[in-house]
Amino acid sequence: MLQVQNIEKYYGSRNNVTRALDRVSFDVADGEFLVIMGASGSGKTTLLNCISTIDTVSAGKILMDGVNIADLSEDALAKFRRERLGFVFQDFNLLDTLTVEENIGLALALNHTDAKTVQERVREAAGKLGIADILSKFPYQISGGQKQRTACARAMVAGQSLLLADEPTGALDSKASKNLLEIMSAMNRDMKATILMVTHDAYSASYADRVLFLKDGRVFNELLRGDRGRAVFYHEILDVLAALGGDVSDVF
Amino acid sequence: MCWLRWEVMSVTYFKLSLRNARRQARDYLIYFVTMVMASALIYVFNGLAFSNEVRQLAQGLDSLPLVIVFASIVVVCIFGWLVSYSTRFMLTRRSRELGLYILCGITNNQVAQLFFLENLAAGVVSLFFGVALGGLLYQALRAVVMSLFGLPYRFALTLSVPSVLLTALYLSAIYLYALQKNRKLIRRMKIYDLIYYEKQNEDAVIQTGKGRRKLFLISIVSGVIGTCLLMTGGTAAGLIGAECIIFFLFGFFLSFASGVPAFFDRHPFRKYQGQNLLVFRTLTAKLATMGIAMAVISLIFTATLLTEGSGFMINGLTRSRAADNACFDLYLSAEGEKKDFTPYLVYIAENIPVEQSLLYRIFLSGSTQVMDYICEHTAHDNYEYDSDPVLRFSDYAMLRTMAGYPAVEPEPGKYLIHCKSFLEEPLRSYDGTLSLNGISLTAGSIHTEHLSQGFYDMTNGRDYILVIPDETADGLEIHHTAYAAKTAEPVTEAQLAVLSDMSDQDYDEETDPLGYVFVDTRANEENMAAMQILLLVFPLFYIALALTMTAAAILTIQQLSETDRYRRQFVLLRKLGMDQRDMARALRNQFAVYYTMPAVPAVLISVPFILKLCYQPEPGVMVGISSPAAVTAISLGVFFLIYGIYILLAYTSLKRNVLPKRFRK
Ligand SMILES: Nc1ncnc2c1ncn2[C@@H]1O[C@H](COP(=O)(O)OP(=O)(O)O)[C@@H](O)[C@H]1O
Ligand SMILES: [Mg+2]
Repeated sequence: MLQVQNIEKYYGSRNNVTRALDRVSFDVADGEFLVIMGASGSGKTTLLNCISTIDTVSAGKILMDGVNIADLSEDALAKFRRERLGFVFQDFNLLDTLTVEENIGLALALNHTDAKTVQERVREAAGKLGIADILSKFPYQISGGQKQRTACARAMVAGQSLLLADEPTGALDSKASKNLLEIMSAMNRDMKATILMVTHDAYSASYADRVLFLKDGRVFNELLRGDRGRAVFYHEILDVLAALGGDVSDVF
Repeated sequence: MCWLRWEVMSVTYFKLSLRNARRQARDYLIYFVTMVMASALIYVFNGLAFSNEVRQLAQGLDSLPLVIVFASIVVVCIFGWLVSYSTRFMLTRRSRELGLYILCGITNNQVAQLFFLENLAAGVVSLFFGVALGGLLYQALRAVVMSLFGLPYRFALTLSVPSVLLTALYLSAIYLYALQKNRKLIRRMKIYDLIYYEKQNEDAVIQTGKGRRKLFLISIVSGVIGTCLLMTGGTAAGLIGAECIIFFLFGFFLSFASGVPAFFDRHPFRKYQGQNLLVFRTLTAKLATMGIAMAVISLIFTATLLTEGSGFMINGLTRSRAADNACFDLYLSAEGEKKDFTPYLVYIAENIPVEQSLLYRIFLSGSTQVMDYICEHTAHDNYEYDSDPVLRFSDYAMLRTMAGYPAVEPEPGKYLIHCKSFLEEPLRSYDGTLSLNGISLTAGSIHTEHLSQGFYDMTNGRDYILVIPDETADGLEIHHTAYAAKTAEPVTEAQLAVLSDMSDQDYDEETDPLGYVFVDTRANEENMAAMQILLLVFPLFYIALALTMTAAAILTIQQLSETDRYRRQFVLLRKLGMDQRDMARALRNQFAVYYTMPAVPAVLISVPFILKLCYQPEPGVMVGISSPAAVTAISLGVFFLIYGIYILLAYTSLKRNVLPKRFRK
């Protein structure tokens, strides 16, 4: 579904260049749950921003169903974002002026859906994520976990097929994290959503089908879960991290 | 299909905009009120310009619409800047929201369209309220104009359709300009910049550079030099000084954010003194993002003060001259004694109801002793008379009666002095003896009522005249002949025109170089003054008001937009154990410094200029309420009154919303 080919990303001016991504390549299959791991500053957010069209690459290609997203017209890009893409930020990015229900329905409402359908689909998504009873509250009235589930609901309510999540559990406590990860797992399993999640936390990563390790902007290693249980996979991830030189104590 | 989608979307977006507007009402209420006031201001002045009632007040007012249109264009530019700055500012404050919209699949073009709708709504609403408010304010202005022309005023609510249309036109110009500027911005917006706008901003605040620190030092030095140069008062030095100050403004506000931390690094003790740290960190964070705006605001304040100063100066000058020249309902004069006034007197007798009149002469004493004394003891030394002008006591007494002044006792053996009030003080110590026809006269009393003494050539002396017993005037050289009259009704413009025409036809430069008859009326002088004020002073204040409102509104929008951040900061500080009285003091200090900073250079630059301006006209005019000091004080007063209202509103709003609950009173 998604092919990332040799992308590079530079930041900064001529005399002070940061190379955030360095010839990164990988494919994401339909329905896959892929996690990208790496220490802080390794380029995870940059990678996700490039894929989500929030940012543009300096070199290389990102193909979506075989089409380079850099070649899309503004309208086609908008359609892509509208219909295919869901994004979950670390810091939620909910609009404080809107209720939970309105935050979730925003994408639908801003597009062509009629009011009744918007409401039905919001209810349905909220039910799946266990936030049906807080729909009329405002973001400042709910907990971090509830906020992140709201953001997830927003990212999937329009039936988006690709869910991008940038450290979605970064601001949550372990119980809320676990809850969110279970939900994402279920979305991947039951709704066939393709998930690309970025994290620096091995426990979160253990929910994936496959883990890519990023270091200094390069893909360093790859780990497939296969048929192993989550606990086993978790320890393997920790092993790779140790080899990577990451600070294991900081991971959990 | 596309249209349908647009419709659904715009409804949703409209709801969003409303929510947004309601939530931000606290921050932007002052901006909105300013825009309503702006519409009212434009409406009022255009209503004045295109009112038939006003135009019929005097013939010269035909040019009023032109003047107001010109001033309106200036005002449109000023408010255009306000709107484009504020909308851009609000746009950046909503950048995360807009970024999310685009991420949700809305195109930049659509965002631009929605933005257009929002502004359209804001413009229409401010036009509506502005015209309503303007309708009321217009009556106040009408009352002022009527009293200016000495006419009775009767309250009547009217709606000037041309003015409404013009106001709509100007407002659309303002909003379209702002829209045009911002549309480009929206078109070019990248999601990345939008979503990460706040983060980028934080980085910018932290940035400090060696260059900026140098700029900070240089600008401070330049500011000090500029102020010194301005104080020396020379024109050339003043100009260089002003340039230094302008450089200081931009340099200072651009580098303040990095200069202050550098200062504190070198003086760590100062940093932790009182609320210094809090106050200056807050300010530097603010100034880092609005350096140029601060400098521009300071320049706007300077322009405001200069405009107001000129306005009050012209106002004072005009009224003062008019008061002196408009002593007699009708006044004719001609050089020498040969001019035959008969045709004029016949016309007057037939057409103008005269109550009292006097045909009299101004003599020359043959000596310049008083003139010399005045030149020696005052700054004034420009007299066209060959010797001191003299008036007979009986004529003087009659002139006083006609002008409505109390009678003066004759003082045998003495000469009286009638002069402008500014000469009273120096002349009081003058005790020279006047010798006329072999009779010696000693100095008598001094009188200072207005008596047509000056602005024109052939009036009752220039600045002063000596009044002598009738018999001592025999044989003195005659300077000019004059006729003054008190009429039952003001002399009309038409009657004055007839008399002036007679004078023009009568005058033949070659055969009769002395024969020109000077004609003037009180009504004419008063009308001219009123007209000048209407044509010059009103537009100046129109512009000055727009300037003050714009600058004060921008400062206030900036300050109030920080409400949430301040609140979080104070909540944290309270947890850290900060005393609540200290919090209030820190807030107040921050406020004081923030609002004082742009005003100080403006005051420093404009005060010497206003004073200089007021010393330009002939002496004796800029006195009393129009004295240079008074004009300066009034200009500053008016400016700080409006500025103060904004500051007070901002402060109350911020205090209510920022300080922890228990502390509110
Ligand atoms: N806007 C930016 N300007 C300059 N450098 C940036 C910017 N964003 C990220 N970087 C740099 O790129 C590198 C990767 O950043 P990021 O993708 O945010 O890392 P991660 O999300 O893995 O912590 C870091 O070295 C960071 O400093
Ligand atoms: Mg990151």
